[in-house]
Amino acid sequence: MDLLKRLQELELVVVTGKGGVGKSVITASLGRLLAARGRKVLLFEVDPRENLHQLLDTEPSGGEIINASPRLYLQHIEPRELIDDLVREKLKVNLLVNRVLSSPVHRHFTEGAPGLKESAVFGRALRMVEGHGPPVLRRPDVVILDAPATGHGVSWLAAPQLVADVVRSGPIGHMAELISAFLGDRSRCGVVVVTTAEEMPVEESLELITSLDERFGREPEVVIANALYPAIDEDDGEDDAAAALWRDRRAINVTQLERLNASWAGPLAEVPLMPIEPGPALIGAIARRIETQLRTL
Amino acid sequence: MSAPLTIVVGSGGVGKTTLAAAMAVDEAINDNDTLVMTFDPSLRLKDALGVDANPETNEIQVPFEAGGELWASLLDARRTFDTLIDRYAPDDTSRQRILTNRFYDHLSGSLAGVLEYMASERLFEVASYGKYHRVILDTPPTRQALDFLGAPERIVSFLESGALRIALKPWFDANGNFKAMAKLGILGRNVEAFFDRMVGMELLRDMAEFFQAFAPLYDGFVERALEVQKMLRSDETTFTLVSGPGEQRVADTLFFARKLIETGYRLGPIVVNRVHPKVDDVPEVVNLDDGRGLLAWLGTRDHQGVAQLRELLGDSHPLVVVPLLPDEPTDLASLAELGAMLREQLAR
Repeated sequence: MDLLKRLQELELVVVTGKGGVGKSVITASLGRLLAARGRKVLLFEVDPRENLHQLLDTEPSGGEIINASPRLYLQHIEPRELIDDLVREKLKVNLLVNRVLSSPVHRHFTEGAPGLKESAVFGRALRMVEGHGPPVLRRPDVVILDAPATGHGVSWLAAPQLVADVVRSGPIGHMAELISAFLGDRSRCGVVVVTTAEEMPVEESLELITSLDERFGREPEVVIANALYPAIDEDDGEDDAAAALWRDRRAINVTQLERLNASWAGPLAEVPLMPIEPGPALIGAIARRIETQLRTL
Repeated sequence: MSAPLTIVVGSGGVGKTTLAAAMAVDEAINDNDTLVMTFDPSLRLKDALGVDANPETNEIQVPFEAGGELWASLLDARRTFDTLIDRYAPDDTSRQRILTNRFYDHLSGSLAGVLEYMASERLFEVASYGKYHRVILDTPPTRQALDFLGAPERIVSFLESGALRIALKPWFDANGNFKAMAKLGILGRNVEAFFDRMVGMELLRDMAEFFQAFAPLYDGFVERALEVQKMLRSDETTFTLVSGPGEQRVADTLFFARKLIETGYRLGPIVVNRVHPKVDDVPEVVNLDDGRGLLAWLGTRDHQGVAQLRELLGDSHPLVVVPLLPDEPTDLASLAELGAMLREQLAR
C-alpha cells in the first residue's frame, strides 16, 4: 500500500527514537507534510523544554493550542495537568476538586501509578481526533506525538494496557481499555522511528523495532534515518582534510544504513543533513524530502 | 580534572559516555587509579572496557597498561533495584512480598528517579571505600540532564511528604475492607468514594501493599540520600557539562550551566563535542550533494556557537572544544588520545 496514503489515514502518529537524533525536527516536518496534503494536524510535545515552536516560528504553547501555519497546530502537554483536568471533569464540585487535587493520595497516586500519565496523553489525543477539542481546534485529523527517547517510547506505548490491566473498574479502567484498543488499531495509529546512521542510535532503533514486535506485534510505519552526510564521489580527486572527514563520516552512515537494512525489511527513508538554520525553512525542506522518499518506498 | 569525583552531564546523544571513558583512560595514564561508571555504552565501548551486564560483577578492572589502574562498571536500572531490595529488605518474607507485587516490575523501571538515585548511591559507596583516586560518572541518558541531580532530593522530599505516611497507613482492615478516612469526615469519605469510583479499591490495595512492603527500606534511603546530596555538593566533586555543537545549543547549554550553579554544584569545564572543523571559504549556496560545502557550512555554524558560548561564559568556566572525529573513539588507544586532548586544552 502506498505509504504516503497510509500515513495520511492515521489518526495518531507516535514519533520516537534515541535522544539527539532530531525527533522534534522530524515531528514538525511530518506535521508540515501532512498539513500540506490537506490533513488538519496537531503536534503534541511532552518534553518539559519546549522547542517545537522555535522550529515552526510561533510563540511557545505554554499548554495552549497554537496555530503555526495552515492546518498545522501545536500544543505542549503537561501530563499531570491532564490528570487534574480529568479529576475536575469527573468531580465537578469545586470543594471536592480542591480536596482531591491537594490530597497527598492523589499526588502520590498520579506520580507513582505506572502508566497513568502516559495514558492521559494518549487519551487526550483520542478525544481530540474524536472531535472533543476546544473551539480553536475542535477536531484535528491526526495527532503527532513527539515521544520521549526510545527506552521510554516502548513503555509509553505499553502504558494504557498496563493501566487497563491493573485498573479493571471505574471510568479510568474503562478509558484505559479504549485507549489501548485505539493504540492497537493499526489503521488508526502508527509509529515512526527516527534515528541517525550512527552506531548507538541504530543499535537502539533495532532494539526498539524488536520490542515493538515482541510486545505489540507491530512494526513501525517507517524508519527515518536523519542527518546523513551526502554520498561522496569516490573519484573526488582532492584529498584535503574536508574531503577526508566527509568520506569518513559518510562511510559510517553507509555501514550503519546497511546494518539497519539487514535487520529491518520495512520502509527506510533517508534525510540528509541540510545547510539550513533550524526553523520553518528547514522544516519545509525536510518535509519535501520525506515526501519524495516516501513516494519511492 | 583534579577533583576526585567528576560527573559528566548533558542532554541525550551528545557523547557523554565516550567522553567519560576518555577522561578515565587519561587519568589512569596519569598515574591515578580510576573508576568510570557508565550507563549506556555502545557495544564496541563495552568490549573495549570489558564491562557487561553480569549481575555478579560490580567493578571490573580494564586490561590496560598505565601508571594507574583503570576500572569500569556498568549500571543497569533493574539490577540496581534488585540489589537495593536484597540489601535493605529485613527478611525473606519482605523480600518476597516486594518481588511478587505486580507493581514491582513496572515501578522498578518507572518510579521517578530511582535509577538516578541508585547511581548516586553507588557512587557514594565507591567514593567512601577510597579505593580510587578518581571516579568518573557518566549520567543516564535522560533528555533532561538535571533529572539525575535532583533524584536524591526528590526521593527525600517524597519520603518526608505526607504522601508516604498516607500510603503506609493501615488503609485496610483485617477483612481487606477499606477503612474510611475518618478524620476527614464527610469530605474524607467523598474523596475515598471518588478514588473508588475512579480506579477501584483493588488497585489502591495493591499500591498500599507495595509501599508497605517497602517500608523497612525507607530509613536507609533517607539517610543515604542526604549523604549523597552532601557529596554531590562538596568541593571534591566537579561537574563537566557536555554540549552538542551549533548555535541553537548555546541557550540549552547556558540553561544547564546556570541550573547547576544555582543548585549549588561546582561546575567545571564545559565541553562542546563534535564540532565541525572551521573552513575559510564557505560557498554562498550549498548544494545538498556537496559534502565539502555542507561541512564548511556546519563548521561555520559550530564555530559561531562556540564563539557565542565563549563570550557569554567569559572566564567563569573553561571551554573545551572537541572536533568531530572521523569515527567515535571506542578502543583504548583512541580514547586515550581524546582524553589527552581534553587535558591539554584544560591546561591552557
